[in-house]
Amino acid sequence: MAQTRRNARQNHLLLAQQILSVALERGMAAGDHLPEQSLSDACGVSRTPIRSALKILEENEFIRWREEEGYFLAIAQADQITAAIRRLEDLDESLASRILSDRAERRIGDVQSVSALVRRYGTTRNSVLNALKILSRDGIVAQLPGRSWAFQPLLDSPNAIEESLAMRLTIEPQAILAPGFSLDNQRAGILRQQMEEMLRTGHGRIVAAGFHRVDTEFHGFIAECSGNRFLRGTLLAHHRLRRATQKDRSVPDFRLRQSLEEHLEILDSLERSQFDLAADQMVLHLRRSRIRRPEAANRGIPPLMRTTRV
Amino acid sequence: MNRPPTIALFPEASFGAALNCVGIAQELRRLGATPVFICHPGFTGVFAEYGFKEFHLPAQAQSTSQAIEDYWQSFINTQLPHFDLDPMDQLPTYVAPTWEAIVDTVEAAEPGLTDILNRIQPDLILLDNVIMFPAIANAGCPWVRIVSCAETELPDPNVPPYLSGLPPEQTGARGAFEKAYLRHTRASHARYNAFRKSRGLPPLPRGLFLEPSETLNLILAPSAVRYDRAEPLPADRFVFLEGCVRAETRFDPPPMPVEDGPLIYMSFGSLGAIDTGLIKRMIDVFATLPARFLINVGGFLEAYDQVPDNVYLGSWFPQPSVVPQAALFIHHGGNNSYCEALYHGVPSLVMPYCWDGHDNAQRAEATRTGRWMHRADWTPEDLRATILSLLDDDAMAAHLAGISRQMKAHPGTTRAAEACLAALRAPAVSRDRDPPATR
Repeated sequence: MAQTRRNARQNHLLLAQQILSVALERGMAAGDHLPEQSLSDACGVSRTPIRSALKILEENEFIRWREEEGYFLAIAQADQITAAIRRLEDLDESLASRILSDRAERRIGDVQSVSALVRRYGTTRNSVLNALKILSRDGIVAQLPGRSWAFQPLLDSPNAIEESLAMRLTIEPQAILAPGFSLDNQRAGILRQQMEEMLRTGHGRIVAAGFHRVDTEFHGFIAECSGNRFLRGTLLAHHRLRRATQKDRSVPDFRLRQSLEEHLEILDSLERSQFDLAADQMVLHLRRSRIRRPEAANRGIPPLMRTTRV
Repeated sequence: MNRPPTIALFPEASFGAALNCVGIAQELRRLGATPVFICHPGFTGVFAEYGFKEFHLPAQAQSTSQAIEDYWQSFINTQLPHFDLDPMDQLPTYVAPTWEAIVDTVEAAEPGLTDILNRIQPDLILLDNVIMFPAIANAGCPWVRIVSCAETELPDPNVPPYLSGLPPEQTGARGAFEKAYLRHTRASHARYNAFRKSRGLPPLPRGLFLEPSETLNLILAPSAVRYDRAEPLPADRFVFLEGCVRAETRFDPPPMPVEDGPLIYMSFGSLGAIDTGLIKRMIDVFATLPARFLINVGGFLEAYDQVPDNVYLGSWFPQPSVVPQAALFIHHGGNNSYCEALYHGVPSLVMPYCWDGHDNAQRAEATRTGRWMHRADWTPEDLRATILSLLDDDAMAAHLAGISRQMKAHPGTTRAAEACLAALRAPAVSRDRDPPATR
């Protein structure tokens, strides 16, 4: 509950969903009053964020505003409220993901005003602000002084991916070697199952997006198990960024499979508490992943590519 | 003792040749051979990602990252204007200096290549290049020549001159081009012949830098676009390939804000990607068309912003998995790209930069498999109209569907791999080592 309250304070959208949950729990009917103070008490936040959350609900026609009376529930059945909660989740996650995808695909610039985003997506200011807050939670955007928002560097180009791998090569083995590494065996088992299932897929049939999801989950899992809180935090934030923005849909089937097998070997070593070996295997895995294609090549002309500094 | 034959593939430092060889190597592996790759510096890992062992030619001492980047910047500044010239005018500006650079590469690679071949001890070498490396001729095993450039690389009275972009019927222009070609390649050719002599190889006739193999020659020229030669090539040593398409990873087109319209794929190869100004001009036109575009921008992704909602940029695409999903393929006339378009029955809009791109552009137009358009001399209306007309050309689509069926019935990768293994079984190529097992 405390976690929910923290999220609610950070995000009006989540608060709006919480208000609907309260209505559901209380068995409220269409036309019932939604007093700000009561909601404020129920959600453990002040009335100011409650008002913002109520506005979102009003924009989506889940509640109605009456002059000098306040807000009233416009939907009644439990399934309607549940559907409304889901719609809110989809709505804002979908807008956040559209904004992120457009930035990663270089359709929009790295500094954006809320009004420009409102115009581009034909939506309300509050929806855009909520989407930006979702993105800011993952460190993808940051608010600048004034009304603009700046995107942080994304993994959207070969150079960015190269820099990401160089950073990971420094930190990920250390996350394993730091004292206090503790493997969550249950999650390790689930991940192992997912990867083995993927390896059973027919040749050339592994979906790049599916591999990317499993890959970021695996590396995020290793970070979570680390005994060093700062390495853990840095890596988790970076893997969230990778998951959201890395675009590389072109790894040959052989390398996808080799990579999955390397993950499984790292898990094998961790399960045997052979941390030195697992860290070395992580180095090997990242070095292999770091090999880059030349940027340009033609007969008689040396290929252009960045030097591998490892 | 029988053992799988070790086959060393040595493609030139270009993606077309490199990936053409990957297709053949995949088939060789399937048939039980052990293919390995000899690769130029900078191609490290390209073949390993497909599961093949790599042997790396040593980088030159001066080939630091900064030196290569400086070289490329200078190359871009110097060569971009030359790509707009016609084939005749490219002879002194692009072709002659490129041959000089190719000869430099051969001289520099010789000691490293000799060393690698001594280590590999291959049973057979596959050379996909435009020039002979003496270390290969002297390796003590048979070698196969792969012609993955246009068929024009092998001269014939009925075939237009290499790199000319001329149709076969223009006999008057042919003589002038051939003379100019010999004149502009004279210096590099003389230097190359001197190098051959120093390595114990006989000189080659003027204008030629690579002799046919006595064992086997594989030519990537589908029958639909092949020339009717005055002097047919002996079928026992010259095998034509109907495409040479490698198996690639699955490609799911990324979602775009614009969800409707045919998919158009554009790639000018890694060399063509350097002209970001041209690609930006094209993107401006694409934004006005009712289609979705996937564009390979190579290593220059960061040069772009304000990408339209119907365009997706990537630094690399698994081309053989993308082309079959496309309604049109816009490319530079690289033979690998052109043949992949034919293999999948996709029309080509060829906008050549240089080399055999001109020859394939001419051939696409002549065989009704695509259109030839100058790469830069067009108005937005021209480009727009050309793309729309290609998308609407039902007759071309039907013609290409027939070509695709024919090519897929005789996959070039399998044909090439089988021909290589058959060549190994021939008595003339036996060696002192344990005989390799072939089937």
